[in-house]
Amino acid sequence: MSQNAILKLTDVNFAYENTDLVLENINLEIENGEFACIVGPNGGGKTTLLKLMLGLLKPTSGSIEVLGGKPADRRAHIGYVPQFSKFDASFPVSVLDVVLMGCLQADLFWGRYPKGMIEKAHAALGTVGLPDLAMKGFAGLSGGQKQRALIARALMSDPKILLLDEPTASVDVHGTEQFYRLFSEMNEKFTIMMVSHDIGFVSTRVKSVICVRKTLQIHPVSELTGDSLRSMYGIDVHMIRHDHRCTEKGHVCPHS
Amino acid sequence: MSAFIKDLIELPFLQNAFLAGILCSIASGIVGTYVVLRRITYIAAAISHCILGGLGAARYLSVVYDLPWLRPVYGAILTALAAALTIGIISLKAKEREDTVISALWAVGMATGVLFIFKTPGYNEDLMSYLFGNILMVSREDLYLIGILDIIVIALTLTFYNQTVAVCFDEEFARTRGMAVEFYYLLLLCLTAMTVVLTVSVVGIIMVIALLSLPVAIASRFFDRVWKIMAGSVFLGMFFTLTGLAVSYTPNLPSGAVTIVLAGGSYMLTLLFSALKKPTAKTAA
Repeated sequence: MSQNAILKLTDVNFAYENTDLVLENINLEIENGEFACIVGPNGGGKTTLLKLMLGLLKPTSGSIEVLGGKPADRRAHIGYVPQFSKFDASFPVSVLDVVLMGCLQADLFWGRYPKGMIEKAHAALGTVGLPDLAMKGFAGLSGGQKQRALIARALMSDPKILLLDEPTASVDVHGTEQFYRLFSEMNEKFTIMMVSHDIGFVSTRVKSVICVRKTLQIHPVSELTGDSLRSMYGIDVHMIRHDHRCTEKGHVCPHS
Repeated sequence: MSAFIKDLIELPFLQNAFLAGILCSIASGIVGTYVVLRRITYIAAAISHCILGGLGAARYLSVVYDLPWLRPVYGAILTALAAALTIGIISLKAKEREDTVISALWAVGMATGVLFIFKTPGYNEDLMSYLFGNILMVSREDLYLIGILDIIVIALTLTFYNQTVAVCFDEEFARTRGMAVEFYYLLLLCLTAMTVVLTVSVVGIIMVIALLSLPVAIASRFFDRVWKIMAGSVFLGMFFTLTGLAVSYTPNLPSGAVTIVLAGGSYMLTLLFSALKKPTAKTAA
């Protein structure tokens, strides 16, 4: 095991109750400072993998280590950004309220949020580019703005790893590029892992791509060619089992 | 109306009814806001129907075994809490069967209640007041119960406001923060159960759900913060129950039904108002 591994999955299998394996024999090490993108077909297990790392699901067998401990014990250092589209579109909260939810912990504060937290929330909104929208209603934001507010919420816990679930779904191409610029900036401070379906665009900024379709393979970005994509999305019906792991750092980023 | 005000000053039962309207609206406005935001109105409806079983059983035991201290409302409280915890635990453990359990509790609770009421000796006109409420029959003791519930609801909401809003907004994220999501969910269901039981005396089993949800539905058209919607719902609830009481008093109409018609009519008007207003709102956005 490498000394720098911030996240380590060993022989992980996962199945929802009484169903076939969703994830099979997953071995994965993520190093500190990584910017990885999890891709794969619908139902391939991307979001399940993310939830396992968050400790929301427990593996059927195998072990998961995050920051040297169990995911559930390291939650305070894991930032999580879900898809904005799953929320009640008219939920009556302000943007600031949403961001402040990021500092709620198991140990309660009673009543109001402390002043320091409110200042921190304003700063987080500045980081994601929404400094003026704090008192606006969350319901009235555009999709991209909601996603930014949710990123700000995740920043409240000073994460060492940020996990994002399809952050650029329903954001247009121009907006997507802005998001990746934001992720690149944040990646200088902490590790980022995201689930995404749009591989072509992701490739230009992320450092490595993890393909999940029940089993897992890791590609350096340069290797992500038509062939490997075709095999991932399964034109032939055989189960693909790529048990190899690329050892070299697959860092190709033409724009930087 | 002047007869109503004159009687209100003189008659204790009318004063009780008036206070019941005010006190019930506090709990139902606050808890109703959570119920609507968390989208569990159907669970609240199931609990309210289910308590007929408890009401009927308690009254049957009280009459047949001569237990005057055993008031129907105690049976209702027990049944409501049991139903809330059953639904809550099942929906937390096995999500896909939740709706079946809710329907079963709903119907079996009512059926049990009808059987008990049928077998209870004496007059059975209570069934109507359980189903449709009779605010004029609210006793001092009921008022104390409702008052205690209000204090509990207000205290818990003030204490856990941020947490409960966060859990209603995004349960999964709250869980990743290590918050006791299950605890808040079961607490909400228990408060809903208690609120339903005590509101039944005002509008009855069948219409309770309207008093929980309609003021919230109206208030959420005008306010965009949870606490404002709570406050708005409390005042709207008071307005509907008290107006319902006053309007129904002289012509001797069932006040619960008048209250709900008022609330429903106001909701329709709000929808109509927003529909007319929409084109301008769109250009502004």
